Amino acid sequence: MKSTLCKDIVNSFVSVAKGLWVTVTHWSPARPSVTELYPDVMPELPENFRGMPTLPVNPKTGRSGCIACGACMRMCPEQIIKVVADKGDPKERKPAEFTIDISRCMWCGLCMEVCPTNCLKPARTFEHACYTRECMVYTLEDLMKLGGTLPEEPESVESEESS
Amino acid sequence: MDLVELAKQLGIILLIAVAVLGFMMVAVLYIILKLRWVIARIQSRLGPNRTGPWGVAQTVADALKLFQKEDIIPCGADKWLFTIAPVIVFVPAYLVYVVIPFGEGLTAHSLNIGAIYISAISSIGVIGIVVAGWASNNKWSLLGAFRGASQLIAYEVPIILALSIPILITGTLDLDKIVQAQAGNFWNWNLFHAFPMLPLAFLMMLIAGLAEINVTPFDIMEAESELVAGFNTEYSGMKFALFFLAEFAASFTLAAIIVTLFLGGYQPPLHILGAQVTAKLFGVIPLFSLISLGWFIFKCWVVVLGIMWIRSTLPRVRMDQLMNLSWKALIPVGLVNLLLTGAYVVFWMK
Repeated sequence: MKSTLCKDIVNSFVSVAKGLWVTVTHWSPARPSVTELYPDVMPELPENFRGMPTLPVNPKTGRSGCIACGACMRMCPEQIIKVVADKGDPKERKPAEFTIDISRCMWCGLCMEVCPTNCLKPARTFEHACYTRECMVYTLEDLMKLGGTLPEEPESVESEESS
Repeated sequence: MDLVELAKQLGIILLIAVAVLGFMMVAVLYIILKLRWVIARIQSRLGPNRTGPWGVAQTVADALKLFQKEDIIPCGADKWLFTIAPVIVFVPAYLVYVVIPFGEGLTAHSLNIGAIYISAISSIGVIGIVVAGWASNNKWSLLGAFRGASQLIAYEVPIILALSIPILITGTLDLDKIVQAQAGNFWNWNLFHAFPMLPLAFLMMLIAGLAEINVTPFDIMEAESELVAGFNTEYSGMKFALFFLAEFAASFTLAAIIVTLFLGGYQPPLHILGAQVTAKLFGVIPLFSLISLGWFIFKCWVVVLGIMWIRSTLPRVRMDQLMNLSWKALIPVGLVNLLLTGAYVVFWMK
């Protein structure tokens, strides 16, 4: 009886001291805060960040690798992608119109998965807020601008085109 | 002639009252801000950093917001008691500051029963809490008030037992004289004297004091997860602000009492850093009390930081654990401690 009482007293002091030690290590300046000051400091996006689908420009051809096959349009569960093929040049298939209504996009990524030329790439941005519904509809130019220019790796696109 | 004298006296009293109130306001504003910073850092957050540089204006902004809030009195509440309860809580928290020796000669009014005055006045606040709980006509408020009453009754006893140890050893109830008895280097402080008794009293004072000012390990009366906010559930606007103010003023008061009784009050840790020596060195006499005020505030700051550290670490205890701690642990230990101290004073200290 007496021994458990003594043990309890010692234990309670030890456990309180342990807790205080844990908090003081968090308090110390060696442990920086995890808070992100988002509008002031942009957060560092992870390597595999999956934003909205965009059409990066191939630096060799000066346009995206889209062949206007319409696979993404058919695959999209929300049916927000609209592709119209350019019939002008029969040798080369390219989109005349490519719009994504991002306001209804649910970021499932199926369009990027299904794309046969791998030209739909996730954007590394996330600030898509705006004041009207119309500005949420991204046209071909917008998508190419958002996607930026592809790095020097055009072989993969060409090999898939040829195969 | 008589009237002029009277007016002068009243003016001086008013001046002192306003000065003490101003000090208390500034201290509370700072403590609230510092608490939010400290708890944020301990939880790996940043805390307030938007209002003004580093968020220093955050509490001012909060106070201004509270000023603008609608002052709601719930229907069914006892209007008069509901209005007067925050005042009953706030005034004792303010009155305690009267006897605290802030620095050399910086006591608003030095009472020869200062220690008793403090414990007497600071327990008036619980009446305000019970009144607030009763007048709100709300079950959470009433439960919080009952808990508050039983808690404060339970913890008043260990506080007085702990208070009486340094009083017995220094042989005076006057806080000024208790501080003067601890002059010199830091090993003259009460905390490092009379080995088992005074450090034990310090520990008891700290634990029971935390319960007295209702901070987290013992904040059973406003336990957010059980009672919405305890006795101040129905309060809003300035009345709530008064409760808040009284709570943080009490946490500074606890630090001030601990510093006065155990940590040498306004005495510097080393005699060389004291007001007399520095004044002699630099030849500036008016700095005398300001230096000691600085030491007092610094020590209080350290103790307040310690309180914040404890309050952001420990989880809330249960009601029965709270009662057990007081009646079964602190009070018996305090009584034995008192007995030991009595023997020490009679047989060793002659």
